[in-house]
Amino acid sequence: MSQTITIDPVTRLEGHGKITVYLDDQGNVENAQFHVTQVRGFEKFSEGRPFYEMPSLMARICGICPVSHLIASAKACEAIMSVRIPHTAAQLRRMLNLAQMIQSHALSFFYLSSPDLLLGMESDPATRNLFGVVGANPQLGRGGVALRRFGQHIIELLGKKRIHPGWVIPGGVTEPLEQAKRDEILGMIPEAYANIKLALDWYKQIADSFKPEADVFANFPSLFMGLINEDESVEFTDGALRLIDPRGGIVADGITSNQFPEVIGEAVEPYSYTKFAYYKPLGYPEGSYRVGPLARLNIAQSMGTPLADIELKQFKQLALGPVQSSFYYHHARLIDILYGIEKIEQILTDPLILDKHVRATAGVNRLEGTGQAEAPRGTLHHHYKVDENGLITWANLVIATGQNNNAMNKGVLQAARHYVKNGKFTEGILNRVEAVVRTFDPCLSCSTHALGQMPLAISLVSSDGELVDQAIR
Amino acid sequence: MNTEIARCLILACGNTLREDDGVGPFLASWAEERFSASPNVRVLIQHQWTPELSAEIAEAQTVLFIDCAVNSIPGSVTLAPVEAAAETPRLFTHHLDATALLALARDYYSAQPGQALLLTIGAASLQLREAFSDTVSAALPEAQRTLEEAVLSLLDTARQRK
Repeated sequence: MSQTITIDPVTRLEGHGKITVYLDDQGNVENAQFHVTQVRGFEKFSEGRPFYEMPSLMARICGICPVSHLIASAKACEAIMSVRIPHTAAQLRRMLNLAQMIQSHALSFFYLSSPDLLLGMESDPATRNLFGVVGANPQLGRGGVALRRFGQHIIELLGKKRIHPGWVIPGGVTEPLEQAKRDEILGMIPEAYANIKLALDWYKQIADSFKPEADVFANFPSLFMGLINEDESVEFTDGALRLIDPRGGIVADGITSNQFPEVIGEAVEPYSYTKFAYYKPLGYPEGSYRVGPLARLNIAQSMGTPLADIELKQFKQLALGPVQSSFYYHHARLIDILYGIEKIEQILTDPLILDKHVRATAGVNRLEGTGQAEAPRGTLHHHYKVDENGLITWANLVIATGQNNNAMNKGVLQAARHYVKNGKFTEGILNRVEAVVRTFDPCLSCSTHALGQMPLAISLVSSDGELVDQAIR
Repeated sequence: MNTEIARCLILACGNTLREDDGVGPFLASWAEERFSASPNVRVLIQHQWTPELSAEIAEAQTVLFIDCAVNSIPGSVTLAPVEAAAETPRLFTHHLDATALLALARDYYSAQPGQALLLTIGAASLQLREAFSDTVSAALPEAQRTLEEAVLSLLDTARQRK
């Protein structure tokens, strides 16, 4: 008799999710699915709203990465206005986006994943959390808290709020940067460097002990996509998209946001409210790809900052071509943070950073606009159509988690097949299956543009549909 | 992060789009205005209390938490001492209660404020609305009075411990 394992809710994620593992008559894994179980509808209820409201409306999709939505949305609005924003505004937005990336990655690495890495996948789930981290390595725990606070405080200084700042608007930002705030942020940089160095050194010491997990945590060839500059360095806010194949060959390059809908499609599966993005010329699911920290490092030739470039060189030694195991999202996330700190320091020393001209104004000059940016967990695309009065008639958002959806499902299946044998599993095994999803740091709230709390659940289901076991947290 | 240590840190949480859930942010904003002349009062308002607030607590001399309470009599105003949780919660990443935040400050920074109080207002309704229920609206004067007295008392405590 075949069985099904359900992990419901999957824990330590941004949103509601569930994993179902289907077993065959011998108790071995036949299939596994990662379900996103929340539904929302931001694209629909934005219809009829003035386009200039979109950044602040769309930012409400998520409390973790609202800045990415603000920026992608503002860029789509600027395409409708046909304006180019001032240099200083672009730099300030870039800093805000990097600050958000740092706080979000700190949450993912230190709060959500470091308990597994520090205490072990099989450790007592009652202590496998931030309190457990402080018991085992207080310096690492404090460093993680401080890095999250660093990112949040920059967001608060620039946008006046840690969450959902309204500072980014179509045309630029509402206010220039004050010198006192610039100096305060610069004063925080040395501690941030010390904390990320500590984390990178620690991670590199323990990474080899997780080689068995790395071998089966979504470790397969795939396409990778992310934003990149013309000099092939990593980019979070501007640039254009590059798509590479599993051997590192360039499949598509220089994809601008208005070309995005021509090359990226979205498929729907009946078991999830999150769509499945794919590269149209290859079709679905063959054209599925990964985005986020791992993809960014795989597509780039450099980070564009000195310390992160040293780390990138070491990272690229993990494989002959693109690094394929999603376990290394963790490593890539830390390099992203280091890059973010360096880049923020560079931006703050831009001679024009205190310039007062930070906003361009215009009305509706085009009836359609697109915008893209790198959210912490990958590429984010906003696409709007408006009528002649600037009211939204249609909107579509393509979110990083949707672009990683196929890889997450394949990764869950790969790990489940490796760990679940003869219908037998332990809490540690279920935690590993969850941990595969956690490597991607999916934002399920973003992926469905959904409302509510955040847990995720695993079910074990027999071949005749009987629920054999379930882990609900 | 802060150049000055807050003698009284006010931490409020709630969602101002969910009717009475927004009473914590409302009262904290009121306190920010009321004590705007005092550099010793620092106010932080969030949708949820998150772990990094433990670092703020570790740097503060006294702390006042403000939240709505769904398990109290609607409109009831309660001010009570609050202590660090003896046992740490199992699942938390996005939201913590006052006892867990104090426990994090203790475990991460070996720091506890000289005094910590929790001010709660019983919620009558948490629907999608940017206004309070009649019950909570009627309780606001008492809540503001209690809040003001609590902050003055905490500042006194901080002064004595200086």
